Amino acid sequence: MPAIVTVRGAVKDYPLGKLVVQALKGVDLSIERGEFTVIAGPSGSGKTTLLNLIGCVDVPTRGEVVVNGQSTGALSDRQLTALRLHSIGFIFQSFNLVNVLDAFQNVELPLLLQGTLTTAERRKRVEALIERVGIKEHLHHRPNELSGGQRQRVAIARALVSRPALVLADEPTANLDSATGASILDLMKELNQVESTTFLFSTHDHAVMQRARRIVRMLDGKLAEET
Amino acid sequence: MSALGLILTLAWRSVLSHRVKSLVIGSLLFAGTFVVVLGNALLDSVEEAMQALIVDSLAGQFQVKEADTKDQLSLFGGFGLGSADIGDIPAYEDVEKAFLAVDGVEHVVPMGVTNATVFGRNEIDQVLVDMRDALREGRPDDARLGAERARRIVEALASETATSEALADAATFAKTQEAIRIASEPTFWQAFEPTTSGSTGAPDQDQARDPLGALDFLDARIAPLASDGRLLYLRVIGTDPQQFVKVFPRFRLIQGQVIPPGKPGFLFNESTYQELVKNRVATELDRLRKGYERDGDRIADDPLLQQRVKRMAQQYRRVTFQLDPQEAVTLEAALRAELPAVEGDLDALVQAFLTVDDSNLVARHDWFYAHVAPLLPMYDTPVGGTITLRGFTQSGYVRAVEVPVYGTYLFDGLQDAGLEQGSNMVDLVTFRELYGKMSERAKDELAGIKAKVGVKEVSRADAEAALFGGGGEVEAAIAEPQVVNVNLDAVRAQDPFERSFPPEDLRRGLVLDAAIRLTDPSQAAALRPELERVAATLGLEVLDWKEASGLLGQIVTVLRLVLLIAVAIIFLVALIIVNNAMVMATIDRVPEIGTLRAIGARRSTVLGLFLTETAILALVFGGLGAGTAAGLVTWLGQVGIPAPAKQLVVLFGGNHLYPAVGVDDLVFGLVAVTVVALGSTLYPATMAARVPPVVAMRGSN
Repeated sequence: MPAIVTVRGAVKDYPLGKLVVQALKGVDLSIERGEFTVIAGPSGSGKTTLLNLIGCVDVPTRGEVVVNGQSTGALSDRQLTALRLHSIGFIFQSFNLVNVLDAFQNVELPLLLQGTLTTAERRKRVEALIERVGIKEHLHHRPNELSGGQRQRVAIARALVSRPALVLADEPTANLDSATGASILDLMKELNQVESTTFLFSTHDHAVMQRARRIVRMLDGKLAEET
Repeated sequence: MSALGLILTLAWRSVLSHRVKSLVIGSLLFAGTFVVVLGNALLDSVEEAMQALIVDSLAGQFQVKEADTKDQLSLFGGFGLGSADIGDIPAYEDVEKAFLAVDGVEHVVPMGVTNATVFGRNEIDQVLVDMRDALREGRPDDARLGAERARRIVEALASETATSEALADAATFAKTQEAIRIASEPTFWQAFEPTTSGSTGAPDQDQARDPLGALDFLDARIAPLASDGRLLYLRVIGTDPQQFVKVFPRFRLIQGQVIPPGKPGFLFNESTYQELVKNRVATELDRLRKGYERDGDRIADDPLLQQRVKRMAQQYRRVTFQLDPQEAVTLEAALRAELPAVEGDLDALVQAFLTVDDSNLVARHDWFYAHVAPLLPMYDTPVGGTITLRGFTQSGYVRAVEVPVYGTYLFDGLQDAGLEQGSNMVDLVTFRELYGKMSERAKDELAGIKAKVGVKEVSRADAEAALFGGGGEVEAAIAEPQVVNVNLDAVRAQDPFERSFPPEDLRRGLVLDAAIRLTDPSQAAALRPELERVAATLGLEVLDWKEASGLLGQIVTVLRLVLLIAVAIIFLVALIIVNNAMVMATIDRVPEIGTLRAIGARRSTVLGLFLTETAILALVFGGLGAGTAAGLVTWLGQVGIPAPAKQLVVLFGGNHLYPAVGVDDLVFGLVAVTVVALGSTLYPATMAARVPPVVAMRGSN
């Protein structure tokens, strides 16, 4: 099975005043289709940076990141945008829903940006997903009318609606209480198993790590160990 | 929902959820559109009103004149009194034929504007003219009444001139005193007594037998001392009066009749007539009352008005000199009853009467017209009389033409325009004489008169030499009775009312310009190239009403410039404020934008989103602004905006402006405000489009 993500010798430097902070110091990593993988490590270890590179919202200073067969360093902003739109789903630590849109519209957003499906097809897929994540009764509620867990469910539906090759989740449970976090994780695990969606998390939440099939640990910008 | 629908939904909801920002930007856009639509609608209305006024009073849709002349045509006058050199059209008949052949041209009206001077008469002149008529027509009693008036004027002059030694050289002063002395002798006035007592061995028997000689003495030696005759400068339009009246709907006859076909004649502009030809005391009373009633002027509050009242009272002789003894007695009695507290003679009474204040102005004005006006000749030149126009001809000499005054007229809407020098009208034949290029017929006529009068070619050169050469000779010459008495009856036989010319002369020969009226005024722009082509073949140029009306036509252009600057300032402020507000909003929305970018929104989508938000605000608030302005203009169109000052009457095309709003005004306002709003959003929108998707991964929402 071909790797959906391949990271080779990735280095990321950030200028900080006159200094240059090296957030990644040469990382090699490969993610296969269908994985449920956690990148773990303390704050500042470089796990979010690595996730940014894999999520195509940033490109490496040196080295190479290949997502779905495309080397991100060689792509224009427009191509990177298209890659994110079609191949990657995002679940954010703070949910990042669009406040002025209701749940349905938030989930529909990536499909509208893609612009390939008809209105009826979109409706069908969005409603199915919303039912799947268990917020059917909140279809037309705005984010500020939803609880944290409900918002994250909307965010999950939004990440999955375009059927991406890879779903990135940056600390998805950090802003949720443990019970809600657990149910969100169960949902993602279930989607991983039933729909074979590839999940890649960054977290230092042990509950997440317990459910992971693979854990990549980072320390000081390098992979420390893998279990 | 499509992608465009997404942008619209996002934009609409963003506008709704950022209420303060939307209201701040929106109210600016509202104000901007309001001002643009209101300003444009008013200016368009002003332009239309002015156009109607100018086109229908004098200009026509187009004017044609000689091409490439030194000065531009200025139908309503420019600065200064000099007449502009706008060239001339030697053969109007060709022009008329050529332009009438153009499809869509309804009328061609020949025209020419020149300046003429008229010597207004002072009181003594008036009296002397009356006396001369009385003597000639065998009314010795009237002549004697006139002599009474003349004698009182001489008395007044005697006391005035006694103090004027310092102002004149010794010789002149001595001459003046001598003249006054002669005219103050009781024997001098015996000339006007009935003949029974005429030849009783009076010292100066020549004068006693010769009232006309005495009159000439008064004319030559005394009248010049009363140097308050007015010199009037009149703008005169020469045209075909009968055609003009038919073609220009704003022409309104006030008194008398239109100059008949084939007759030389003059029509006073009504405002000139009231301001400059009327008895000056009456004019001043009229003005004071108008100021009091229309403009709320109060004498008590205004030193300038107090000055004017004082001056008016000092002009009491404008009333008293006009009275014969019987009238003087009548007025004195009436005034004494009206003003019992005032002591003194008639002069003192009239002075006291004319010293008006705010409390009695209106009553005295009424009283003046009820009791004083009937006793006075109210106008220097009455309708039905004649006027002697003096024109500075193109050849440089002065030519005088005596023409009948047929009436007065005004242009509807221009009467209160404060163009003090309204246009007076003469027939074109008279105009040509004043302008100095004579028709053959006029030359024949002149030759005929010369033959009749018996003047053996008193050559112009000699006349000028006599006038400008040596000052003393003129007076001496006029003082000789036999010179004045040259065959006056022959001159009188040439009654100006009897003169005539073939009516077609009006449409033949020299004119300065011509007005073109179209069958369908809305075709003006379309017809202009064709008219210009025809004009070019004749060496003429075509001017539209704006170009032809000189400074007046520029006013609208200037006003548009002022509006443009005002709008530019408003828009600049709007630009800055909208820009700032949008930059702040963008900074607030960085996480949202980052999220959109992260999940796959392109930069152009973000740009479009921000621009759409602004466009929505511009259309909604701009629409409200345009609608409010349209409502206001429509309301004003029903009630009318009164002209706040007489200078604005021309702009308003009358005493009220009834503005209307056009679809083009609304569209222009909306488009302008939308463009400005989008322009001011360009920077913040670009800023938003540059928000990197990575910010979505940072921090809290």
